[in-house]
Amino acid sequence: MTPRPSHARINPTRRTLLGGATAAGAAGLLSGCVTAGGSDESDEATGAVTEANPLGVPEGTDLEVVMFNGGYGEAYTQHAAEVYEGLHPEATVDHQGIQRVGETLQPRFVAGEPPDVVDNTGAGRLDIAQLAASDQLHDLTELLDAPSLDDPAVPVRDTLLPGVVEDGTLDGAVRFLNYSSVVWGIWYSTSLFDANGWTYPDTWDDMLALCEEIKQSGIAPWTWQGKYPEYMVDPLQAMAAKSGGIDLVKAVDNLEPDAWRQDAVLAAAEAVHRLVTDGHIMEGSEALSHTEAQNSWNNGEAAFIPCGSWLEGEQQEVSPEGFDMVMAPVPDLTASDAMPFGALQGTSSESFLVPSQAANTRGGLDYLRCLFSTEVARGFAETAKALPVVLGATEGVEMTSGLASVADAVGSAGEHIFGYKYRLWYAPLAKAVDDATGELLTGRLDPEEWGDRIQAAADEVADDDSVTKYQR
Amino acid sequence: MKSRLSDAVLHLALLGWGLVVTLPLVWAVLSSLKTDAEIFASPWSLPAEPQWDNWVRAWQEASIGRYLLNTVIVVGGALVLVMLLGSLTAYCLARYEFPGNRAIYYALVAGMLFPVFLALVPLFFVVDRLGMLGTYHGLILVYAAYALPFTVFFLHAFFRGLPTSVSEAAFIDGCSHTAAFFKVMLPMARSGMVSVGIFNFLGLWNQYLLPLVLNPDPDRYVLAQGLAALAVSQGYSSDFSGLFAGLIIAILPVLFAYVLFQRQIRSGLTAGAVR
Amino acid sequence: MRHGKNRFLVGALAAPLLLYGVFVVSPYAQAFYLAFTDWNGLSGQAEAVGLANFTALWSDRLFLAALRNNGLMLLAVPLLTIVLALFFAALLTMGRSDRHGGIGGIQGSGAYRIVYFFPQLLSVAILAVLFQFIYTPKNGLLNGLLEAIGLGSLGRAWLAEPAWALPAVMAVMIWAAVGFYVVLFAAAMESIPRDVLEAARLDGAGRLTTFRRITLPFVWDTVQVAYVYLGILALDGFALVQIMTVGPGGPDNSTEVIGLTLYRSAFTYGKFGYASAMGVTLFFLTLSLTMLALRATRRERVEVA
Repeated sequence: MTPRPSHARINPTRRTLLGGATAAGAAGLLSGCVTAGGSDESDEATGAVTEANPLGVPEGTDLEVVMFNGGYGEAYTQHAAEVYEGLHPEATVDHQGIQRVGETLQPRFVAGEPPDVVDNTGAGRLDIAQLAASDQLHDLTELLDAPSLDDPAVPVRDTLLPGVVEDGTLDGAVRFLNYSSVVWGIWYSTSLFDANGWTYPDTWDDMLALCEEIKQSGIAPWTWQGKYPEYMVDPLQAMAAKSGGIDLVKAVDNLEPDAWRQDAVLAAAEAVHRLVTDGHIMEGSEALSHTEAQNSWNNGEAAFIPCGSWLEGEQQEVSPEGFDMVMAPVPDLTASDAMPFGALQGTSSESFLVPSQAANTRGGLDYLRCLFSTEVARGFAETAKALPVVLGATEGVEMTSGLASVADAVGSAGEHIFGYKYRLWYAPLAKAVDDATGELLTGRLDPEEWGDRIQAAADEVADDDSVTKYQR
Repeated sequence: MKSRLSDAVLHLALLGWGLVVTLPLVWAVLSSLKTDAEIFASPWSLPAEPQWDNWVRAWQEASIGRYLLNTVIVVGGALVLVMLLGSLTAYCLARYEFPGNRAIYYALVAGMLFPVFLALVPLFFVVDRLGMLGTYHGLILVYAAYALPFTVFFLHAFFRGLPTSVSEAAFIDGCSHTAAFFKVMLPMARSGMVSVGIFNFLGLWNQYLLPLVLNPDPDRYVLAQGLAALAVSQGYSSDFSGLFAGLIIAILPVLFAYVLFQRQIRSGLTAGAVR
Repeated sequence: MRHGKNRFLVGALAAPLLLYGVFVVSPYAQAFYLAFTDWNGLSGQAEAVGLANFTALWSDRLFLAALRNNGLMLLAVPLLTIVLALFFAALLTMGRSDRHGGIGGIQGSGAYRIVYFFPQLLSVAILAVLFQFIYTPKNGLLNGLLEAIGLGSLGRAWLAEPAWALPAVMAVMIWAAVGFYVVLFAAAMESIPRDVLEAARLDGAGRLTTFRRITLPFVWDTVQVAYVYLGILALDGFALVQIMTVGPGGPDNSTEVIGLTLYRSAFTYGKFGYASAMGVTLFFLTLSLTMLALRATRRERVEVA
């Protein structure tokens, strides 16, 4: 691992030390030097633009990549680093896989010394809306227009799944590109279900009936990742959206009055609450971390668990042989839902961005060009067991049961893939929703109280002038 | 007879707390030798076969050894520095009258009361401008600076309590001020130095927030950072036995040091506190 | 002989004061300034907003919950720790009455001290990770223990119930701290002159009376010092809560602490100015606590003297 250029000044002379100290001390006291240094855009280092180097990367300049090393691992970003080093033999890539990206990088953004590429993902990530509003993100449009690594005739833009560019657009500019296509659903083991003759229910009433049956067999019907209530928010809000349609989603995201008290929202909360009142949730789930809950489920202690499409990759080390997990869309809430059964809550995740103040922004862009190549994306599908956003990347990849079920679900959902934006736009509201849902799932709140509590939090955000508002 | 009986009751109470203290640690050791399946099966079962491989994995993949070395370097360096500077400062403030004496003393003592959270991001700037981000000496200086208030506060009272006649005698013998401090006063304050040294050691060893922000390079992680990262990353890979093994490896050196030096650690501490 | 005094003072104080000024004073001063701005932690600009951050604190549910929880911790953690530590220290130092009516340390006193003290040496990160697994409902140590002694019905998801989560966190703090103060108090008790204790015994005072009339007043100073240290500990709790609890800070904000609210405001919501205002508030809380405790100690000293 090579030190970053900005860290090369390891041995300052006594003079610079004292000079720096006085300057920092005095200026800091008077003018708040914290805020003084952040905004100057560093002069962009560039190299000659050639066919082999369409983004004009300065040769011989090193690159620093900081990525979130979570459920998908870091094999794919390392792979991209190798490809990059192949393109630029004089450069070295300093690749760091970390957790809690925000805590590590926030001060570096403030100091104007961010890395060249960041994968801003996972718990404790940076607030990307704030980053964009603070002018910290390089516009990725020129990357999208650059020729792709696989076929110089096709620009990068045309190699991506629809929606990816839109997901990364904030205030009219492309600020980040997500790497993984994520959909949410409910997971179960096909081998367990086949052995018991159970079939996945189409409606929530069928779900409750099946739960009774599962309980008879001595298995808990459901478990969930109680320590992080967000996991249960997803099936709840997915059912609400399927039942109420996209207008319901927009009302929620636009902070409309009583959006959280819409009938379909409360009906979805009531549906989930039935799991509690009917005793369908594995005892103690509310205190389990995601890994503990998922392991219990993998051990056959519970039949269903809500999760995004990354679950198979996350569990691949511990999942027993022949478990054959698959993901299904949430059941219909009513017989007259606005969206078809196959509709999915989905988005893209693993947000890659190039900081505008990075030392080597050209290199950062070119690294992303490598990352979004078919070769790297295929490796991602194989090692991370997840769908990359690069078109055709899974062709020829031997798919496991989970990945295949996710691919099928995405295929049959077609245009009916929806997503909520409030989590991205209003982090404090997301926390209120998580907290209330945690209470709903332990039976300490009923659906009415749940709706009231979240609505109050939403109104608070809506009334707060200091919060930047978005509309969709 | 009566007192023998009540002695037994007392021992029972004392043994009870001893059990409360040791049980979690013993349990963690046992868990570190189990397979993941055994951990999930029952908290009480003994490992069918000790899984030393868990320890190997924690040591190699989680680089606990490197974190330990980093911690020793940083905490050791900061400890030496803060003891030297702190005792000098406390001595000057306690034994010399000069304008600004009280102001300096209160400014230092006030530093004990500030929550470190408050300073985090501005501190990052200061360290960064000095070019010391993610370096050993940067962390050492910051650790020492944040341990200084308590050290001065503690030793100030100590130096005040020493008899003036001794230093007077030293001056009459022709000692310089510096020599009087190092040769006469410092040795007399030894028990106080040991106590505050132990306090500081514990405080610095426990530091979690400062390295989190000032020490971003995974190669330079100190133990607390390394463990937190381990808890998260092993969580993502569902390797609980490896996590327990990492915990135990992190505890062991402290345990050894304690077994070897427990008398000094405890007597130093109490000598200072009951001053 | 006092010449060279100034040179010595300057030489001795320059380095520590420079260190302190650069790394401690200047960041805090900047933080105070930031508390009056709307800085988002990322941009180059910060607008002055006067006292807005401070007034907003009092309608912030999270901050108020944190204040309440830190307040509860401030009451419970020092009190329970000190009571337990005094109890065990008393048992260790004057538990055994020997054949001649004398009072001495109980057998194995040293061994108990060695064991009791050890948790103090564990870093908070270790404590948090360890106890997270102790409290976990299915295969955790605590529920397993209750089951083993036939009290399985008392087992619960400790960190998931609002009524139990905060006590569970406090229990970790107390678990780690008691031994340290046992050793501290025991040493103080051992410095009580033996003849005083023996005289009391001869007067027919029982153990409890001796403890209340003689031991407690004698170690009162130490107890108050302990209260200040434990109070500062109880106002923190960040690392434990952040690593251990549901949410973190949950369930239902029942374990939210000021440090966590501050941290989330700064690093998740990017409200660094607002977070600084919390830090300033926390500072004044700590300051007043210490002032009160130190003042009480001073008065006590005068009375004893």
